[in-house]
Amino acid sequence: MRNNDRFGERSHIDDELSGSDVERDEEEQVWLPTGQSADPAQSLRIGVYICRCGGNISDVVDVERVADTVRLIPGVTTAKVHTFVCSDPGQHMISNDILEENLDRVVVASCTPFLHEQTFRGAVARSGMNPYLYEHVNIREQASWAHKHDPEGATAKAIRMIAGAVGKLRYAQPLEQIKLPNHRRALVIGGGIAGMKAATDLAARGIKVLLVETEQKLGGRLNYLGRVYPSESAAAELVTELAQRVQQDPNIEVLLGWKITAVSGFIGNFKVMAEPVDASTSSLPGVHATVGAIIMATGFRPYVPRDGEFLYRSEPCVVTLPEFVQLMRNVSPDAKTLAYKQQKIRNIGFLHCVGSRQLDGVHEPGPDGRLNTYCSRTCCTAILQQALAVRKRFPQIGVFDFHQDIRTYGRGQENYYTDASRAGVVFFRYNGEEPPTVQVTPSSRAKNGALSVVVKDALTWGRELEVDVDMVVLGTGMMPGQIEDLIEQMKLATGDDGFLQEVHPKLRPVEVAVNGVLLAGTAQGPMNISETLAAAGAAAVKAAAMFAREDVELNPYVAEVDQSLCCGEAECVTQCAYEGALKMVEMEVDGELVQRAQVNAGLCVGCGACVAVCPHRAIDLNGWRLDQFEAMVEGIAADIPGRSCESELVTIH
Amino acid sequence: MTDLFVPKILVLATEKCAYPGADAVGKAHQEYPSNVYILRVPSPVLFPEDFYLGCYGKGIDGILIAACGSDCPYHGAYDRLAARIDKLTSRMNASGLDIERIRLTAICTVCIKAFLKEIALMSDNLYRLGPVNRMLAEQLRSESVERLQASSCAPRLVPALQGGL
Repeated sequence: MRNNDRFGERSHIDDELSGSDVERDEEEQVWLPTGQSADPAQSLRIGVYICRCGGNISDVVDVERVADTVRLIPGVTTAKVHTFVCSDPGQHMISNDILEENLDRVVVASCTPFLHEQTFRGAVARSGMNPYLYEHVNIREQASWAHKHDPEGATAKAIRMIAGAVGKLRYAQPLEQIKLPNHRRALVIGGGIAGMKAATDLAARGIKVLLVETEQKLGGRLNYLGRVYPSESAAAELVTELAQRVQQDPNIEVLLGWKITAVSGFIGNFKVMAEPVDASTSSLPGVHATVGAIIMATGFRPYVPRDGEFLYRSEPCVVTLPEFVQLMRNVSPDAKTLAYKQQKIRNIGFLHCVGSRQLDGVHEPGPDGRLNTYCSRTCCTAILQQALAVRKRFPQIGVFDFHQDIRTYGRGQENYYTDASRAGVVFFRYNGEEPPTVQVTPSSRAKNGALSVVVKDALTWGRELEVDVDMVVLGTGMMPGQIEDLIEQMKLATGDDGFLQEVHPKLRPVEVAVNGVLLAGTAQGPMNISETLAAAGAAAVKAAAMFAREDVELNPYVAEVDQSLCCGEAECVTQCAYEGALKMVEMEVDGELVQRAQVNAGLCVGCGACVAVCPHRAIDLNGWRLDQFEAMVEGIAADIPGRSCESELVTIH
Repeated sequence: MTDLFVPKILVLATEKCAYPGADAVGKAHQEYPSNVYILRVPSPVLFPEDFYLGCYGKGIDGILIAACGSDCPYHGAYDRLAARIDKLTSRMNASGLDIERIRLTAICTVCIKAFLKEIALMSDNLYRLGPVNRMLAEQLRSESVERLQASSCAPRLVPALQGGL
């Protein structure tokens, strides 16, 4: 009772705040969140289904009490509990009720919407209900599992969240998926291994492909590699084989030495423009094309050390890993020794993590102020592959490896580490905060001045060691490709690392927030060739699945303007970051020509930036309307009938 | 009275980051108070100032905007959101509504610790501050709506202006 004063006070405020909006009938224990007394929604027939999840929910949440309580919410005509609502019998129960009890809205309170929202939307749709009149409440991940030791609280929370969902459904409108014509042709940007793989996979399904590569040759970075791990096949053979398939395929049109200069439009309907990279040597005009999907196979660019970083560019025998790969590729088959810039190489030091896994305060940020905090994932195995190759080809050369960790993950890759150890590669391990340094030491035998690597070696209990070498190979990693123009034009999202960002790393790994744009390979982040090919294959399949339909179907979660409320102030248009998604158009209202906002549903991504600024609430986001959010908050904040204030205990008589 | 007060915390969690982040907390069977209510939103950028003030008016004591931060999948939305919250916070500050009642933060899909830390922080703040002044919030909310509408022009002004220019 001590607490009732405060809640008494609150009720008083309630009345004062909302006047007649708040209606409470204590005697009948009918519970009306504000504003709904005159709402036609009162005639709704809402079914609420609460899942026990085989005990996962019902061991904590008193599901029966939840059902008994939410049944008191006006509009809720049915509230039932089931052990597994997602099971066939569970879904059947919903379908039956929709037909027999004429339900027109359905709520399921169960696990996270990411698991079964689609399941239940499908279930209600099969019974003839609009799938967007369905609402999902998460009482497992966000109630029973998170409040295990507070069953009363979890039960009250479940009730409030369901009340919120019911409130949201009061304002829900039936929505239709957006249908747009689908142009059955894909643009692949980048002719490296990812682009070639995606192009051939799509072409094999009979889909026309336009492949645009800025270089004069297909193959991308693979053109600069020697042998590829773990198969040890020659990169050149891989390129030749794929490039031949690309060039012989009648479905693939290849533009070499061309770049994409303009992209507009939306899924199924992108308008792109390609132009020769070097306009001075080419008199060819730009090409316009309409494509349905765009595959970003733009790749990466290798990290180039700063001048003087580990003495790079100040000492000739400090080279990057790609430069060393070139050197090994060019060694003549009968060479007995390895030499570089007149320097005979007797000892080589390989440094890991150059330009990767950088730490604030230890490393200098790049020109854009960014540190490459990520692991480039391919360098460890690539370094050990080269180290092993050196030991095999020139057994007299000493090889020293300086790493903070060895990340030779994946099938067949760990062997490079064991083989390198057996072949006599000497390993040193440094702490990431104290990277090794490269020094010049006076030496009579070296033409260019001998080098040494100084390292605090964790493998010998932090002892500082100095290792004399003739050559230092910097294990440089990957950097995001230079595609700022495309990112800007296509409104693509990038991660903290600057690589293109997928919608979800696990559930939607090759899609981006812009519908119809897919990621293939290292444009998305460091990957090795196998991973790149897997990603490219996935992107091709995603695009092919999209092309399987006559029309493109989009979720209806886009902004919509209520023309009866819009008065043409264009505030919303100033907030929209997506060109063409929201614009002012001229139309006739009451015999007068006026400007009104209009949404292009194909271009709108549904971020809602426009919604907040409209003075008339004329623009709203379908499926996520502001009044729906307000109703949810009301449902959550409203008092629960019969509740004891102290413990949020719910008692129904 | 304060020791009996249980604040209501609203979390506006982005569909791409913070909402799955909150799921991750539950999946890891980590616990936080049950008076935390999580709403899934595409991006909180869609909320006008009056929405937040309206939440306080309805009895929500604290709002945690759990966004995607620099991982935001929508172009420019996070910066816009941050600017909007900035504006709201200074307004709250000037009008005597404690700004600790609102917080903008980024929670990723696996940020379990960050989520729990933010909840604990908000919770501590709210127990210290006590219940929100709903009347003040409601008054600010109506002012916000009025301001928004005051900037509005008559429907015919736009074409006329264009003609004049």
